[in-house]
Amino acid sequence: MSPGSPNQKVIEGYRFPVDIYYHKEHTWARVKEDGNVRVGMDDFFQKVAGVIINVELPSEGYQVEQGVSCGKIQSSKWISSIVSPVNGSVVAVNHRLEEDSTLVNSQPYRDGWIMVVKPVKLEEDLRQLMRAEQLDEWLRKETKKARAEIDKRKSRQGLGRF
Amino acid sequence: MVKLFALGELPGLQSLTVFHALAMLNMECLIVVSPRDPIVSIGYFEEADESVDLGSCEKHNISVMRREIGGGTTYLDANQVFYQLVLRKGNPIIPIRIVDRYRLFSEPPIQTYRRFGLEVEFRPINDLCTKEGRKIAGEAGGDIGESIVFAGGILLDFDYLAASRIMRVPDKTFRDMLYKSMKENVTSMKRELGEAPQKKEVECVLVEEYEKLLGPMEPAELSPAVQELMAELEDKFTAPHSAPKRGLRPRMEVKVAEGVRVVRRLHQGAEGTIRLTMEVKNDKVIDIAISSDWAFSANDELRRLERTLRGVRLQGDVLRRVLRRFCEQYGVDSEEIGLQDLARTILAKQLRRQHSPLLDVRAAERQIDSTSNEDLASEQ
Repeated sequence: MSPGSPNQKVIEGYRFPVDIYYHKEHTWARVKEDGNVRVGMDDFFQKVAGVIINVELPSEGYQVEQGVSCGKIQSSKWISSIVSPVNGSVVAVNHRLEEDSTLVNSQPYRDGWIMVVKPVKLEEDLRQLMRAEQLDEWLRKETKKARAEIDKRKSRQGLGRF
Repeated sequence: MVKLFALGELPGLQSLTVFHALAMLNMECLIVVSPRDPIVSIGYFEEADESVDLGSCEKHNISVMRREIGGGTTYLDANQVFYQLVLRKGNPIIPIRIVDRYRLFSEPPIQTYRRFGLEVEFRPINDLCTKEGRKIAGEAGGDIGESIVFAGGILLDFDYLAASRIMRVPDKTFRDMLYKSMKENVTSMKRELGEAPQKKEVECVLVEEYEKLLGPMEPAELSPAVQELMAELEDKFTAPHSAPKRGLRPRMEVKVAEGVRVVRRLHQGAEGTIRLTMEVKNDKVIDIAISSDWAFSANDELRRLERTLRGVRLQGDVLRRVLRRFCEQYGVDSEEIGLQDLARTILAKQLRRQHSPLLDVRAAERQIDSTSNEDLASEQ
């Protein structure tokens, strides 16, 4: 798959496969054939976060809630939350991240996955998530808003480029 | 309007629980506070008994507390003025990239130092340094609830001895080198200016500078609800730290400032072990102390090897060339010292710690912008 492929959207330089769902806190959800949901961090997150140094995974059996933090990630001396995109119980976690957390950087949609969740109300949860097309509009709006704010403050303070 | 909590001094633990509580309550604010008594703060991913000399802390009556923001073990005391900024996640002032958050939110403390005559600049990712490159503030941040927190401290003065004493390190040689490295690479207003300004003055300037960034702030006081939550968090974050587990190794690497580390490497040669304690700055050996327990380790040879390695860049080919030349020059049997293994030992990037994978950070940085196409392939 290439950046121009119909199977992914490239928005502001960030890649988003079109076959998965996205939460606004930058987790993705892929519905597997067995009905469980694989979850990971999206390309936007890994790029703005920098090199991932540590990942705290939820335990298997842990009940996750949509929109609620279920783990932590450290990069650039910053602790970010892993926010679950769906409700359910964790049935598997990616222990490879304990050995190499940078898989979240190098393969965010594949070997860098975080956990697999057995969902309890999948259809309802999916309605709250975005597809790549919706993400496009939302992300562009968000980045535009952020840039406008930065420009406003830069001109007020004479600060350097952010 | 962002609230301003100008709290003066609080008991050590409260000076840190306060920002956690206000973030959990989703209250946008700037907190300016100093700890009345010394405290050791460990990072979210650290283990107290691995990183901190708990015996020394107990002896000197220093509390140890985990924080929910990033970074490593930090010694904090009344000679520091903390700035803790809490903003709601959706606030458009928050830059998207983490490094840009540090850069933007560091501007007020940088300007504060400058107004007191100290030329300080931002050094990515999260250090403020003097022109000479000495660290004068470390910063950290993270998501707490629906808020983000950015925190750091103005160093009026710095207690090098106390800061090196609270770290759990392998031995006295390591601790002495750590102390020396801190003196060389960390500084304070008192050290740079001859004397530290009054804390009150610093607090006022800091608030003025943050108002330039955030707009006018509304002075506020800690409500009973906030104080109650702080008390709960104090219990949670200071849950008894167990005594060091049997066989648990002390930390073999301590970061002093961005790019500066004191490390311990152990090399098993044919006849015994070589212990290397090194101060490494930007991948170059600044200082090194070597001890060993086998024949090669006649003191003269060890001192020569130390002299040879000082100033050497930690790159495989450079290091191997230097070691080979050392063996030829002084007639040392390269097989006896296990030259190849010794080079590998010295070059080891990081020692494994719990939750801390072996990382080649530079290689990982290169990967960030070049996520492989295969990664995007669908898979069930």
